[in-house]
Amino acid sequence: MAIYEEERNRLTIKLVYYGPAQSGKTTNLMRLHDFLGTDLKGDIMMMETANDRTLFFDLLPLGFKAPSGLAIKFKLYTVPGQVVHDSTRKAVLSRADGVVFVADSQRTQAINNGESFANLEANTHRVGIDFDTLPLVVQFNKRDLADILSEEEVLQRYRGAPWPLYFSSAIDGRGVVETFKALLQQVYDALNDEFAFEQNHGLAGDEFVRQATGTISCGGAE
Amino acid sequence: MMSSQQFDDFERELTLQELLRGVDVRRLLGALENLLLAPVSIVDENETPVFEDGPTTPSAPKVPLIGELEPLGYLAAEAEPRLLQAAADVVALLLRANARYLIASDLHLKTQRDDFEELQRRHAALEVSEQRYKTLAKTLEQRVREQVKTIEKAQIRLYENEKLASVGRLAAGIAHEINNPIGFIRSNLNTISSYLESLKKIGAVVESGASTQAIQAAWKEEDMAFLQQDLREILDESISGTSRIAGIVKDLKGFSRVDQAAYESTDINDIIRQVCHVAAAEVDGKAEIGLDLGDLPSLHCQPGQLGQVFLALLLNAADAMTARGKILIRSRLDDNRIRVDVRDNGCGIAESALSHVFEPFFTTKEVGKGIGLGLTVCRDIVESHGGTLDIKSRSGKGTLVTLCLPFKAGGRA
Repeated sequence: MAIYEEERNRLTIKLVYYGPAQSGKTTNLMRLHDFLGTDLKGDIMMMETANDRTLFFDLLPLGFKAPSGLAIKFKLYTVPGQVVHDSTRKAVLSRADGVVFVADSQRTQAINNGESFANLEANTHRVGIDFDTLPLVVQFNKRDLADILSEEEVLQRYRGAPWPLYFSSAIDGRGVVETFKALLQQVYDALNDEFAFEQNHGLAGDEFVRQATGTISCGGAE
Repeated sequence: MMSSQQFDDFERELTLQELLRGVDVRRLLGALENLLLAPVSIVDENETPVFEDGPTTPSAPKVPLIGELEPLGYLAAEAEPRLLQAAADVVALLLRANARYLIASDLHLKTQRDDFEELQRRHAALEVSEQRYKTLAKTLEQRVREQVKTIEKAQIRLYENEKLASVGRLAAGIAHEINNPIGFIRSNLNTISSYLESLKKIGAVVESGASTQAIQAAWKEEDMAFLQQDLREILDESISGTSRIAGIVKDLKGFSRVDQAAYESTDINDIIRQVCHVAAAEVDGKAEIGLDLGDLPSLHCQPGQLGQVFLALLLNAADAMTARGKILIRSRLDDNRIRVDVRDNGCGIAESALSHVFEPFFTTKEVGKGIGLGLTVCRDIVESHGGTLDIKSRSGKGTLVTLCLPFKAGGRA
């Protein structure tokens, strides 16, 4: 649920990277931080334990100004993937405006992907988000590894699902920006009814995506 | 109007004041002053110094202290821009470290609070259900007792009904047996009524003082010779009919007191004969009954109850017939025991069923044909007389039921 602050003329949009443990959510954020050329780009705040597992979340703030002067701020979060941190996942997911589900392409992770996706659906209900209208992009990560589901298999399994599907290798940046752009487009469409970006702020959908990602520095765009 | 306070705790925008909480600002400014060799101040977005006692440097150059994306405030000092920027970076790093701590603790508190609320909700739900179980436990014993009582009552009723069930089965046959003589007795009485008309006519002739000749003519006219002879015959027939009814009623009397436990001195053979009479209508179509009754002493027993047993055994035997067969009832006095065998050449009992035949509610009959209490009741009655009831059977060959009653023991009495 995007929040508009009148005194600052600022809209804050919350995007969440969800998925099973160690599927590459934090790596997605790191690559976005590397590649994006958004006008305002903060540092990533990472809260990890000693063994590199996310404990609370990671946060990457981004922002730009619309022609109308409206400041648009994105807060990109990751959730902790480990099953035990469900309370934290719920807290981070609450009020989300869009979700990237980062799945692990390895064959051995199919069950974890399924459980995590079910957990996402359950938690959206718990925090009062309508899962059916929530902007959501599914990303199959770790395409660089061996013994992964082929793209045909993934497409076959997700045939009929309404969410856009992206393949990525976050470790070398492939597909990360595309995934993010796909989510931005959906979020724009979902929020446009309420905020009338084009009418009131001179901000068309492609411009929204372009401004939010800025000049891509390397790797990510291919 | 939206304000940043409406963000979830851990997501709220942290102010400069919050981020400096817990930091010894006096010491920080002192250290920076020593590095920059000039008075240093930190001001917020609105240029208000965050440390009141500190130096004010309204005209000094300032560099922003960036929070997430935007300036949270400024660091101001009359210092070389490069050094001032370096000092601002150090302060920003300090603020970021504090932000990390504050956000983590806020999120931790939020999840703790949510988990605690969830626990309390569950606890409350558990308490409600515990209370329900406590109440249930209190009344459970009582409810089980009531249920057991209800079941026992129902079983006793079934058991009592079973005692009368075989008698009930005979009702249709007995009704027919009684109806038959009643039918011809009624027909005979109608005939006698018409004969009364003839007598009236002759009577009228006699009363009119007619001649003997005229009277004789009337006598002949009404065919009084035949009438007298016929009257004799139909009266005899009617009397024998009433005797038949009386006989049936007498036999039935043996069963009319099935629920009375009266002990009488009785010849078991008489009971067997009575039972055969009463059951004749029911059994005749299925089997021929053969009696081989040896001399027996009178036995002190409950004749009504034992009649029940023989009737049930006889009907069971009849039911076992797949084609018309034979039932042989044999009685003997055998070493101070009265022994009665009821043997049939019906379908027999399967070996698997044989060990269960005395169990309550065990039945191989079709639904509605028996509730499985017949032999249970029989054995209870026999055992109450101190006797035994045994069954031998071979599937397809027939069944032998042996009833032994101790003669000297004289039952329970």
